[in-house]
Amino acid sequence: MKRKILAAVLASTMILSLVGCGGGSADSAGTADTGAAADSGAAADTGAAADTGAADSGDAAAAGGETLTVWCWDPAFNMNAMYEAEKVYQKDHPDFKLNVIETPWEDVQTKITTAAASGDLSTLPDIVLMQDNAFQKNVISYPDAFVDLTNSGIDFSQFAAGKAGYSIVNGANYGVPFDNGAVVGCYRTDVLEQAGLTVDDFTDITWDQYIENGKKVLDATGKPLISMQAGECDLIMMMLQSAGASLFNEDGTANIVDNDTLKAVMETYKALKDSGVLVEVNSWDEYVGSFVSGDVAGTVNGCWILASIQTAEDQAGNWAITNMPSLVGVSSATNYSNNGGSSWAVTANCQNTDLAFDFLASTFAGSTELYDNILPSGALATWAPAGDSDAYGVGNDFFGGDAVSAKIVEYSTKVPSNITGVYYYEARDAVATAITNYINGSDLETELQTAADTVNFNMGQ
Amino acid sequence: MSKPSKKMTLYRKHNLTGWLFLAPGALLILFMSFVPMFRALMLSFMTGVGASMKNCGLLNYTRMFKDTVFIQSIKNTFFYLIIQVPLMLIFALILASILNNRNLRCKGLFRTMIFLPCATSLVAYAVIFRSLFANNGIVNLVLMKLGILDAPYSFLTNMWSARIVIIIALLWRWTGYNMVFYLAGLQNIEYSVYEAAKIDGASAVQSFFRITVPLLKPTILLTAIMSTNGTLQLFDESVNLTDGGPANASITMSHYIYNMSFKYVPNFGYAAAMSFLILILVAILAFMQMKVGDKRD
Repeated sequence: MKRKILAAVLASTMILSLVGCGGGSADSAGTADTGAAADSGAAADTGAAADTGAADSGDAAAAGGETLTVWCWDPAFNMNAMYEAEKVYQKDHPDFKLNVIETPWEDVQTKITTAAASGDLSTLPDIVLMQDNAFQKNVISYPDAFVDLTNSGIDFSQFAAGKAGYSIVNGANYGVPFDNGAVVGCYRTDVLEQAGLTVDDFTDITWDQYIENGKKVLDATGKPLISMQAGECDLIMMMLQSAGASLFNEDGTANIVDNDTLKAVMETYKALKDSGVLVEVNSWDEYVGSFVSGDVAGTVNGCWILASIQTAEDQAGNWAITNMPSLVGVSSATNYSNNGGSSWAVTANCQNTDLAFDFLASTFAGSTELYDNILPSGALATWAPAGDSDAYGVGNDFFGGDAVSAKIVEYSTKVPSNITGVYYYEARDAVATAITNYINGSDLETELQTAADTVNFNMGQ
Repeated sequence: MSKPSKKMTLYRKHNLTGWLFLAPGALLILFMSFVPMFRALMLSFMTGVGASMKNCGLLNYTRMFKDTVFIQSIKNTFFYLIIQVPLMLIFALILASILNNRNLRCKGLFRTMIFLPCATSLVAYAVIFRSLFANNGIVNLVLMKLGILDAPYSFLTNMWSARIVIIIALLWRWTGYNMVFYLAGLQNIEYSVYEAAKIDGASAVQSFFRITVPLLKPTILLTAIMSTNGTLQLFDESVNLTDGGPANASITMSHYIYNMSFKYVPNFGYAAAMSFLILILVAILAFMQMKVGDKRD
């Protein structure tokens, strides 16, 4: 043990001094420090992981390769789901072992890009959790880094079509859908009551009605109804998808300039902001803080936000959920949308694809027991058979005894499918710039034209 | 005959020993710095999505001048450079000459306190500044309690205030760092020079401009070049403090290059080309500063 620690210390000093060499400037010297700190930490971590991994794979090789490595990022949510899946699968395969490594999404993306760009895939795990919005981009950029799952024995027809669509590239399935991002409207019933409203006044409504109700709440309590992170266009994307629209056409070209739905969305967003019903904050923490602290009387977001809402234990029983408002003047408008969510992908570095296929097919695509077990953590299934389970009908006291899970599964079946596009993040950032300038008084047409130019520029490699 | 040859071997021996000591470092720098730099240069002449790259000549270099977001990021970076670097160096110089005073008590304590910010992690301090300037952050709270503001001012969602917050953050983080260089430079100035000036009736201001500044010129030049280089590569503050927002008003060149490589559809060729533009800019600016600042030859 002592020698191992010594080795780790020596290794990290070496990395430190190496990175130190490179640092020639004030700034890079600073970053080098943190880089080195992170590096040595990571080195120690992966060192340890590699150790156990090596030992495992040594054993596993003898037992026929029964170990899989997985990257995902949330200990309470998707990592927990993997551990539960391991337990389920171990019932039939006692030798099976999972090596789940906590890796934040940004790091997953950086590591995939680095590994795939260098052509050395050996650093990748067997299974990786991928954000749905990044799926197309990664598979199209690095087709050799991922395994086509179409003929893997996994039945994709049992997943919600809108959800599975994120991970279909050129007609082939590359991902096993995991969590549900159906949009819910969340409201503080006690605050609404002060304005003489109930959650029914927010069910199946339009954004115009929402603003009207929001003003009543603002007058009565001084609290805005919704907060959003400035410079991020989550709400814009949710509104767009609620009408089945997107920033791209079928053929992959940008659909920004003459997109009437987008115009309606931008106008609605500005109206929300101008009325004071929506307040913009600077960061994600501030966003969560705004409703957890009770300063804001609700939010509209993917159903995974319920986990954050439930951290405000003092507000238990005072929250209710319903569907989101719909766009006005758009013929395809609905009260349902999707935000976020992720899917499991198998990397080309997986040596034992049969095991990975079988594991995924008999857990995330074949076990109601698994979905029942992970339901308390807020992981709602996109796998249809799981929704029929009794566990989904149980009421949640935090939301006044409402059967929240069943409601969300119902919403998710009504979400219109739309086109993500390979250049999703480029378009998203361009539209975020447009909305910021539009709110500050610029002309909508000009801003949309600029956004379209930016996206087209990025697409013309 | 044998004597000179023995001398030669001794000379060669020393020479070889020297090279032997140099070799590990030189080889490491060669393989870990220069080879990647050369590969990046090659990469900057290629284009394509992800792994499928093809040669494109100078396309990436002409492309960046049509990229409105990149041009915006250059403007932002130069705004930081022009405002922040002179301010920071002036503050650092003033602080250093105050703390160099022999009669000052607790000098070590003050020096440590002013230097301490640059021992903090770049990400941590950026996140802390973000929360300081949040709508419900302490800055808004104080301004409201003092009656200067009625409602919280959203510092980070307004173009100019977001940039100014970044400059304030940079000043806080790096002033102490530059001050240490000046303090070290001041140690080399004989105290008797100041005493002589005092006897001749020079005021503190006069001795600062007539003695301290001219004698510190090499150090000032060094810090100016380092700060320019550091500011042109500014990354952490833009990412963590403002996320480049609002509407790209505070995005830096490095932040945009990062987005181009890792957030967007990876376009490493273009990203490498933009990195080389930064290199060229740093080289030009450093050259200009040396021409202006160093009159030794």
